[in-house]
Amino acid sequence: MKRITTSLILTVLVTLSIVNAQNSSHNSNGKSTTNAPVTLNLPNKADSVRFVVIGDTGTGTEQQLELAQVMLRYRQVFPFEFVLMMGDNMYGRENAVDYKQKFENIYRPLLDQKVKFYAALGNHDDSNQRFYEFFNMEGQEYYHFKKGNVSFYSLNSNYMDKKQVDWLNEKLAADTATWKIAYFHHPPYSSGGTHGSDTKLREIVEPIFVKYGVSVVFTGHEHFYERIKPQKGIYYFISGSGGQLRKGDVKQNSPLNDKAYDRDLSFMLLEINDKQMHFQVISRTGETVDAGVISNPRKNGTT
Amino acid sequence: MLCLLTVDQSAKGQTAPALSANDKQIAETFEKRAKEYAKMREQLETQMPKLSKEAKAEEIEAHKKQFQERVRAARVGAKQGDVFTPEAASLIRAIIKDEFKGKERIEFRDTVLHEADTKAVPLCVNYPYPESQELLEMPATLLLRLPQLPKQVRYRFVGPNLLLVDRENGLIVDYMTKALP
Repeated sequence: MKRITTSLILTVLVTLSIVNAQNSSHNSNGKSTTNAPVTLNLPNKADSVRFVVIGDTGTGTEQQLELAQVMLRYRQVFPFEFVLMMGDNMYGRENAVDYKQKFENIYRPLLDQKVKFYAALGNHDDSNQRFYEFFNMEGQEYYHFKKGNVSFYSLNSNYMDKKQVDWLNEKLAADTATWKIAYFHHPPYSSGGTHGSDTKLREIVEPIFVKYGVSVVFTGHEHFYERIKPQKGIYYFISGSGGQLRKGDVKQNSPLNDKAYDRDLSFMLLEINDKQMHFQVISRTGETVDAGVISNPRKNGTT
Repeated sequence: MLCLLTVDQSAKGQTAPALSANDKQIAETFEKRAKEYAKMREQLETQMPKLSKEAKAEEIEAHKKQFQERVRAARVGAKQGDVFTPEAASLIRAIIKDEFKGKERIEFRDTVLHEADTKAVPLCVNYPYPESQELLEMPATLLLRLPQLPKQVRYRFVGPNLLLVDRENGLIVDYMTKALP
């Protein structure tokens, strides 16, 4: 198992671009969601894999829309190609009108710009979402795709049965990608007061991740952002406040917690080149609440 | 009942109770009944227009409704216990009891009975599982120990009961009561 060394850039913020909003609006707290300057802390290189992570989005609320507008503004300076969805893509009913109200209408400008969404399923999601044109799941509840030197595994943590475990083992064993990233709904580690760590899931998937060199895991379910202290060489992130928020739910004395944000909705911007994965977490009001860089475990050659 | 012999469970790399010959027979019979349901509904689905992997929201909704109607009509006489025979239910209860012990059992019961948003799910065979209700995560370690289901059918906890739910049309195939230890 390769160890990852980190060099977190939490204090030095390099403003690469500032964009003035053309249209301003104010959210329910009175804070502008469109006028705040776009402050990018990422290298933003053309040959990088650039993407977004959001989770627990499917509410169709004004707050979800406001966060989507911030995402859109960041895309003007950081042209991310795709979005990973951590599940709970649709709360409540799932009629055709719900797909529009809770997804299409919210992210329409991004869809129009050909941004692709790759969904995972949560405990509020019907399995039939896997056929939905904008979720790019190829009709599968769990699936794999590659972007450059990065391998992505979208898993169904809601139902981690033997078929899926066997599939994951086989796919990872044959995978020679530099970066292997898994994402799914339920967090194996969490400082959440409501749910907490999913230890039953962790018991099954973590040995597989360790064995085959998965270095980063993204999840949702908890309605906040959290960066977990590295566990067995793996970086776990929770990004579950794309539409739902559980204010103050992070346990302040949790030994797992490296950084958390549970005051507002948020999403993650990510950029991977051959050597490093940079990340920046942005709130609904445009505030950067976490940022850093993870070194490539394979390039480091440490175990 | 569950034999207390232990064997290596390769997926977990840990030990778990093995099934006796009698329990294996019960599990196989249960799996066979679940497969018979899956085969029947597959035949019905092949008669319908195939859902694209890039389907519109309207197509997904229409397909699910039509699929529900066809299966409900074909299983109009279905009743509780058609798949979960008393012997299978007893075996499954024993497996669940063995999987959750001590603090884990208390926490799991609390999640299923109090936290889960499943209170509006009807305990009725051949009725739809409401989309508005949560599909509670099945514990991964338990899934590896329960009798294996065909891909079309899923175990789901609702209150103290364990349901079999069709993953595409959302119909409740069968259920057993008093599943929680």
